[in-house]
Amino acid sequence: MSSGACVRVLPTSAGWRQVTSSCRRLPAGPSSDPRRGLSSPGSGTVNVFNREMKKRQKNWAASLQDSHQYDYLRDEVSSRVADRIYDVARTFPLALDIGAGKSHIAGHLSKEMVERLFLTDISEASLKQRKLSEIPTHCVLADEEFLPFKENTFDLVVSSLRWVVHVAILSQIHQVLKPDGVFIGAMVGGETLYELRCSLQLAETEREGGFSPHISPYTAVTDLGNLLGQAGFSMLTVDVDDVQVHYPGIMEVMTDLQGMGESNCAWNRRPLLHRDTVLAAAALYKGGGGDGSIPATFQILYMIGWKPHESQAKPAKRGSATVSFVDLSKIGQPSHSHQS
Amino acid sequence: MSGSNVWSRSREKIRLFSELFAQCSGEAAAYGKCVAATTTGRQELKKDMCAKEFEALKTCFTNAGKKRAK
Repeated sequence: MSSGACVRVLPTSAGWRQVTSSCRRLPAGPSSDPRRGLSSPGSGTVNVFNREMKKRQKNWAASLQDSHQYDYLRDEVSSRVADRIYDVARTFPLALDIGAGKSHIAGHLSKEMVERLFLTDISEASLKQRKLSEIPTHCVLADEEFLPFKENTFDLVVSSLRWVVHVAILSQIHQVLKPDGVFIGAMVGGETLYELRCSLQLAETEREGGFSPHISPYTAVTDLGNLLGQAGFSMLTVDVDDVQVHYPGIMEVMTDLQGMGESNCAWNRRPLLHRDTVLAAAALYKGGGGDGSIPATFQILYMIGWKPHESQAKPAKRGSATVSFVDLSKIGQPSHSHQS
Repeated sequence: MSGSNVWSRSREKIRLFSELFAQCSGEAAAYGKCVAATTTGRQELKKDMCAKEFEALKTCFTNAGKKRAK
């Protein structure tokens, strides 16, 4: 087990010297330009979120006295991601957990699945509170959008519940994966928190005459395949899971989101929310249960993508079929000429 | 941070919000119905379209707060 600081923790055996040197690519910290664009081959610059602000939010959330009571969603999603890792019948010598937080996934993994694990997160306070696991782990403090690892390093990259995904992050993941490596991750989908979004939108329109985005846009299921394909992954698997959590009221929804470290940090966010608007939104929040509780939907998208390799099954060439569809009707009957 | 300060006082108010709001379910339902009616109809939702219902809700809410403070 190692401490949460960057670079110092990496072992100095010969095989890792390359990783240490590439750490110098890390952004310098508070002095770096916060408005730097994020560019990668094939996509334009993406600079929607204030990463500095997100780091402060995550650090604040991790240092709360009762921060563990906001972990329910991440724990649930992490156990399902670990299930998917278990389903892949391989042992991964080296794995990377992106945006690990308090390393929720590692608690569900066993030594047969993963032999060595790297955890990265933008927030040092979260890494310091990580749960213990039987797998040897190393912590790297890095922004997920600038991974300080060499290409073709990892057999497995996992991600537990990302709220923001774009092609740049996926391309980075694709780069650090070895050929025939796999990326298994979870992220929030387009329907997440739609009740909160709609009620705030209607309330703000009625009370103030216009509305500004308080909830960042999430990826739709249909777009996810495109994103993964653009980043270079093949043999994609995407499935959707709707988790509904019931809260006593709209304030509890927002307090819990803040406790999870998922407050809004987009550059275009409005810093003010009038109390009249909140009162109106509470009245407009739809779907109240009989006992006065309100539901909040989290649409979780699970994705599995592989880095291409020659050993992977490819679509057969046109014209190479040996059996005809016409023979389908003869399947039930015993036939001498049926080829196996 | 120790003692009572702006942060702890506003967090306390946020926590009490649900309790006070629960006492005004009638006014909240009326306001909700008014807004829902505007969204389903031809007209768009504009500022203060349901101002009357909202004022009733706000009065109920502030009264509930005053009663609790007593």
